[in-house]
Amino acid sequence: MSESEQPARIRVMVVDDHPLWRDAVEHDLAQAGLDVVAVAATGREALARFPAARPEVVVLDLQIPAPDGVEVTAEIVRQDPSVRVLILSASGEHADVLAAVKAGATGYLVKSASREELLTAVRRVAQGDPVFTPGLAGLVLGEFQRMSDEPTPGSGVQTLTERETEVLKMVAKGLSYRQIAERLVLSHRTVQNHVQNTLGKLQMHNRVELTRYAIEHGLDED
Amino acid sequence: MSSWTSPASIAIKDRLFRALAVLRWVVLLNAVVLNVIRADEFERPALGATCVVVMIGWTVFTTWAYDDRRRRTSPLLVADLAIALAMLLATPAVKGTDYTSSVPGFWVMGALFAWAIHYRLVGGLVAGLLLAAADLQRQHVDASDYGNAFLLVIGGPIVGYMCDSLQRMATERDVAEREAAMAAERARLARAVHDGVLQVLALVQRRGHELGGEAAELGRLAGEQERELRGLIHAQEAVTVVGHAESVDLVAELARLEHGQNVTVATPGSPVELPAATARELVAVARACLDNVRVHVGDDAPAWVLLQAFPDRVELSVRDDGPGISAGRLEEAARQGRLGVAESIRGRIADLGGTAELATGSFGTEWEFVVPRTSPI
Repeated sequence: MSESEQPARIRVMVVDDHPLWRDAVEHDLAQAGLDVVAVAATGREALARFPAARPEVVVLDLQIPAPDGVEVTAEIVRQDPSVRVLILSASGEHADVLAAVKAGATGYLVKSASREELLTAVRRVAQGDPVFTPGLAGLVLGEFQRMSDEPTPGSGVQTLTERETEVLKMVAKGLSYRQIAERLVLSHRTVQNHVQNTLGKLQMHNRVELTRYAIEHGLDED
Repeated sequence: MSSWTSPASIAIKDRLFRALAVLRWVVLLNAVVLNVIRADEFERPALGATCVVVMIGWTVFTTWAYDDRRRRTSPLLVADLAIALAMLLATPAVKGTDYTSSVPGFWVMGALFAWAIHYRLVGGLVAGLLLAAADLQRQHVDASDYGNAFLLVIGGPIVGYMCDSLQRMATERDVAEREAAMAAERARLARAVHDGVLQVLALVQRRGHELGGEAAELGRLAGEQERELRGLIHAQEAVTVVGHAESVDLVAELARLEHGQNVTVATPGSPVELPAATARELVAVARACLDNVRVHVGDDAPAWVLLQAFPDRVELSVRDDGPGISAGRLEEAARQGRLGVAESIRGRIADLGGTAELATGSFGTEWEFVVPRTSPI
């Protein structure tokens, strides 16, 4: 293991209410040379410790005592837009995962992922690459389809380009970025950019909707 | 729960009796005014005045008495009906045998409806019959007298029947609401339990894998159960959403394919409703494709299922990472008269009015099915 060789260790915060899991994840991350700057068992703890810990990546369980993972994601992304949130969920319930991604999470893994998969995911998320599972790609595809099926007037629906849809579809079919790049004759980086753009558009749409809601309901005035 | 004792039906009764109290005052006012106008018909004015006073007093009393559910007992209802009957039967004594309008008139409605509300259809019928019989004691029964009596006899049971229905519906709605609340609470608890179990299974799988040896076998078993449970939860997530018995949520059906082997199912986040037969056939086709993957690529070969839903169609794809099908093998098989799995899959999709495409190459083998949504809901 070539640990502590990296010049800048990735600062990670682990949020999970299950002590065994929290310890296991913390242990794995620390052993791989990452810097676990904070752990938290509840949403409240997470929000309290986040500002001082200033992690680059937050590894977050969705099912935690209130506020839940989705609310925590929204709040910490609001406080620090550069933070990356990697969702680590046991049940991976569709609605929750989608909500978390819309709130600003850039990665999602099921807890049965192996140690290596987790480490790779944390490193990639830290670099700003979204970590998509085929399941998440399917959800995001479905969400864009739903938005174009029932457009809310005036909300300026974000749509995917044909290429983005194609790439996302391939991710949902389980192809790796390398395989997609090969099949579409694109560079690995371009494929990643396409995937990143889709998440960006989804989160943008969410922000637009929230803002619209706030304006309509007079929440923008103090 | 019985609709006679349920809190919802008693609440309905409270409302009905409050409404009846208002009605009693309206018909009392009507009776008093009519008696004052027709006071010259009285042969015994003192007795007539007494009757009017009794009606006023009784209306005051019943307004108070029926207001509390504990006072609504059989003696009260019997007394209520007895007073109304007495008013009718006293009429010959007040006005002589040859009268055209009874002393209480429409005031008897109060007792009739009280019986209909309290004893429902049977109560309404009994009270209606007795009041009609008492009213027809008069010497000359003309068409309008007969009509009034007839209205009493059919009005009582009708109102009684409607009260019965109202109370039953309220009781049923109450039960349904309670069941919905219980189901929601159960689902909430189940989420917590499932999540806990999944966490532990995933942890065992992970640690077991790292420890190796016998622990790895335990880890593998835990992993299988973890996938199975997660698939079931996804399937269950959508169950409550589907309203039609004849339509099925394809997302939930496909989620079931996830357990056991290395199958990953990607779907939209919301239910995709299709006619049950179409959905089952699609799942069966997907299963056949996955079986094929197991036969041709390997037992543990990973496979991916993707469902996309559009307003007019659904697209389903099943992909594996295997070596692909060598060129001409399918045609060769067909020439030899072995139609095989591929043709049976094509046929089944064609029966659904859809198209099936098979792509194969270095990326593996990929089936893509497009099936129209005949009855989009």
